[in-house]
Amino acid sequence: MDGMLVVIWAVRLLFLALLYIFLARVVRSLLRDLRAAAREPGATLGRLLVIESPGGDPEQGRSFDLDAITTLGRDVNNAIVVEDPFASAEHAVLTYRGRSWYVEDLGSTNGTYVNGRVVATVSPLGFGDEVSIGQVRLRLERARLT
Amino acid sequence: MTSASSPATRIELPRILGAIRPRARWTETSLIAIVAVALVVGSVSLSLGVTGRLAPFDPRGLAIYVAALVLAHVGQVLAGRRSDEILLPVVGLLGGLSLLLMERLPQDLVTLDIGETQLGLGDVQLVWLVLAIAVATILGITVRSDSWLRRYKYTWAASGIALLLLTFVFGSDVAGQRLTLRLGPISGQPSELLKVILVVFLAGYLSENRPLLIEQDTRLGPIRLPPLPYLAPMVAMWAIALGIVVIQRDLGAALLFFAVFLALTYAATGRLSLVAIGSVLFFAGSALMASLFDHVRDRVDIWLDPFADPLGTGYQIVQSLHAFARGGLLGTGLGEGLPIVGGRLPIPEVHTDFPLAALGEELGLVGVIAILGLFFVVIERGLRIGASAADDFRAILATGLALVVGVQAFIIAAGNLKVLPLTGVTLPFISYGGSSLLVNAIVVGLLLALSDRGVEPPPPPTDVRRWRDRLRRRAAR
Amino acid sequence: MIATSGRRRPLGRTIVHVAIVLALSFGVLAGAGGYWAVLRSDELARSPYDPGVIAASRTVPRGRIVDRHGTTLARNEKDANGELYRVYRGTAASQVVGYASTRFGRAGLELAYDAELSGLAGDPFADALRKFGSNPYDPKDMQLALSWDLQRAAIRALGDRRGAVVMLDPRNGEVLALASTPVYDSSAIANPATSEAAFEVLRRDEDQPLLPRATLGRYVPGSVFKIVTAIAGLGSGAISSATTYKEQPAAEKNGLLVQGFRVRDGHHPETGNRPLDFVEATEVSCNIWFALTGLRTGGEELVDYAGRLGFGAPIPFDLPTAASQVTNGSGNAPGGFVDDVELANAAYGQGETFVTPLQMALVASTVANRGELMRPRLVTALIGRNGTRQIGAQSLRRVIDPADAAAISEAMTRAVEGDLGRRFTTGAKIPGITTAGKSGTAELGGRGEPHSWFIGFAPAERPTIAIAVLVEQAGRGAEVAAPIAGDLMAQHLESGG
Repeated sequence: MDGMLVVIWAVRLLFLALLYIFLARVVRSLLRDLRAAAREPGATLGRLLVIESPGGDPEQGRSFDLDAITTLGRDVNNAIVVEDPFASAEHAVLTYRGRSWYVEDLGSTNGTYVNGRVVATVSPLGFGDEVSIGQVRLRLERARLT
Repeated sequence: MTSASSPATRIELPRILGAIRPRARWTETSLIAIVAVALVVGSVSLSLGVTGRLAPFDPRGLAIYVAALVLAHVGQVLAGRRSDEILLPVVGLLGGLSLLLMERLPQDLVTLDIGETQLGLGDVQLVWLVLAIAVATILGITVRSDSWLRRYKYTWAASGIALLLLTFVFGSDVAGQRLTLRLGPISGQPSELLKVILVVFLAGYLSENRPLLIEQDTRLGPIRLPPLPYLAPMVAMWAIALGIVVIQRDLGAALLFFAVFLALTYAATGRLSLVAIGSVLFFAGSALMASLFDHVRDRVDIWLDPFADPLGTGYQIVQSLHAFARGGLLGTGLGEGLPIVGGRLPIPEVHTDFPLAALGEELGLVGVIAILGLFFVVIERGLRIGASAADDFRAILATGLALVVGVQAFIIAAGNLKVLPLTGVTLPFISYGGSSLLVNAIVVGLLLALSDRGVEPPPPPTDVRRWRDRLRRRAAR
Repeated sequence: MIATSGRRRPLGRTIVHVAIVLALSFGVLAGAGGYWAVLRSDELARSPYDPGVIAASRTVPRGRIVDRHGTTLARNEKDANGELYRVYRGTAASQVVGYASTRFGRAGLELAYDAELSGLAGDPFADALRKFGSNPYDPKDMQLALSWDLQRAAIRALGDRRGAVVMLDPRNGEVLALASTPVYDSSAIANPATSEAAFEVLRRDEDQPLLPRATLGRYVPGSVFKIVTAIAGLGSGAISSATTYKEQPAAEKNGLLVQGFRVRDGHHPETGNRPLDFVEATEVSCNIWFALTGLRTGGEELVDYAGRLGFGAPIPFDLPTAASQVTNGSGNAPGGFVDDVELANAAYGQGETFVTPLQMALVASTVANRGELMRPRLVTALIGRNGTRQIGAQSLRRVIDPADAAAISEAMTRAVEGDLGRRFTTGAKIPGITTAGKSGTAELGGRGEPHSWFIGFAPAERPTIAIAVLVEQAGRGAEVAAPIAGDLMAQHLESGG
């Protein structure tokens, strides 16, 4: 085995090794990214916390994880079922677009209120704002980080 | 993919692109660095294999390519978008492998005359690669709104079909397949672009009708199917596209379209019944085609036993398998494989159909697995972008784009390895071919744009209103 | 994203499913890569269709082939383009050595040992290391047991008749001559300038010069098969050297009635009305005696002992061989015979019996080697860059015990040396050396002249050479095959072999 042969083999193996070093680095990034995503379920979304619920359904203190489109109302097909005599079957919908939350009233009988004010059209909603559906009050919170 | 502490050095530039705020992308920087080193080492290895000299094989080409990658990276840093940092380096590495391969093959496989000079295979591929990087980077930097994609889905579909029809009528015949459109000195394969167009259409349609497709049923006895009326336009589009593709004898594209269609519909609706029926239709259709068309049956026969006629019909795939066998575990070394017999390369069309076999011979199984890994990373990135997208349209679009690259890579790699019959699709980023490179660059560019976590929010609630109306109608029934 | 109503699955989860399916698919690809690049790698990389092999064959010098004394039988030369081609010594060994042609592939030993000669094979360990060397090809030179002088003499002795000669050393199985006529010019095929024309001529030649008759030709054996019958009879204990049959002398005149068929003889009236024993029957080649022995031994034992000699399967050898048969096995009688008539006919070498000259040489060699059958060998050494690999003698099995072999040897000696025997084996006797043998005249049932056979060995006390000679349709064994055998054996022993 002369010197040139060693050099040739060294370069060849080095090239293959570099391919795998690249892959390893990528995989490390991927795993880091995955772990971060796992830590934040639905990372960019939020929760709705039930502040007040005279009827008991949904229970006070319960927290709902929010979808990009979350419907609220008395009908069982809603994402969040609000059993309240003053809530309509399809009362309101919460949407997440871009980086903001929006709430829209779906033509309910008694209207939807944000921080005490009735909303007529699509209204932005921030973290900490309260939404009232009938007698139930819910507050928009950030997603849990565990 | 969190950026490190980003110094907000505001650079005042004309407001064409809006405010420029550079953002560091250290992951991408380190990866590009590894790519650059790897390509230099690879170039030296190639030089050792071909000429025995310890120096980069084509220093000029290598420098241009690495410079292009670095420029692209700098461009992304300057643009300051929080887009994916892994896609560009991976694609850069794949492109670099392509460049090494094209430089290594006989340069007269492809020639392009520009005035006085004649460019060979390696140089032409270099030009396309640089163009592709530019396209991908520019798209990744500038595309900020997807409304132009999501709004006009039927227009997109129609234009795609029109493009295909144009090729069918006016295209030039190459080896029995009418796939190419010629515009002066440039020729391209519109079917490559068609797959992206149809993915855009599908994304729009599926995302808009997703709740319906999931919730509503058409009952077929005990089986619950998605609502057929809503599937109809989609299926019709695809059937037309597939039909034309089959008429053009581009079986690889047909397989690709079908697989992507099925996967996207599953991703959007989660209904396995669709996948099951689709698969049944696929196998039935394949069997029908195999019995009707001789050329399909021939392909299947050759696939099943290429060694029955190793010098005739089975020659291509036999040579491909021999190349992998010669490569073994570690390969023969760049530039030292592909023994020339009778003045010709042993594998025909190696720069378009069989680059994986050539790389398999020279880089061995270890190299092939690395390349497959790189493709899977591209897929994973795309799917990841889809999974964490802000809304359904972007999710399905990203997924579809990732699939278009990934499934195509799978199909041709499987053809090289006798896992599937050989088809004429190209290996993304590695095969020679301007149209293939450009279209895949568009895909990567769109994925980069979609991955930006600070993009413009999805459009106003027209979707919500329509969806709400539908729910109401349903409740009223 | 959480599932809301009923079956609605969040988009993220379905995408993960798609990712898993794709991951598995790519895994399958990796597996396929492993299959072709590792599992099937050796087989494909060494196949003659592999362009690497083809390219190498034009630039890497193929190993030389030499005979037992070092005479080169095959070597390389460069043509006008600088590419290598093969050149062979004469034509006498053409069917043994074969040819290696870029156009027409390989034949003979060039085919059987292609991997070693072209440098692709070896033992796996050396192969693995060789990959790291600068020259991955290690063509091996090959030494044969063949003796070029003997081979040439055999071809000359056969002349322009069709036939075969097999000569081997019974002690170790080394094949010293393996001649088949007609021969052909293997150099003409290997030379790129003349190969096409030469091959075309050969293909059309009705005498089939490309057929190695010594190993692949199957012929009716005639009386030489009686040795096999003797082996079966003595080995199974059905007969002894002293066995006689009282009906035998009468049957000489009228024929032996076996199930309505008459086995005829009558070619040794000199023995008169005396019942013959084994040695005498061999000396005069008595069909009746052997037919009766065959019947007494039984079909099953006959086929069994023949199988021990190598019948019924290709003989393990460096070149492809055809299987010899005692019967075609279509019958229901013991051993596969149709009935006793066939058994009786087979016992003296007619019937559905077909043998190759190599097989008959092994019969002689087994008797000569005191009942132990040695594996025939052409290649004795492979010499590579890293050393020489000797291929040594290998015993296939013991067929009969030495006492029985001695009895047969005595009978065969008498067949050549005895007064009566000499008449049937004229010319086989080597002056000054006790020679043993058996001639045969294989009747072809009216389809032409009978084949002329002879098998034998010498010196009878301690044999160092065994021989089988077949000349197609040349008439009586004594007239043609026997003298050829005698001359060749004499030449070998004289030259100090």
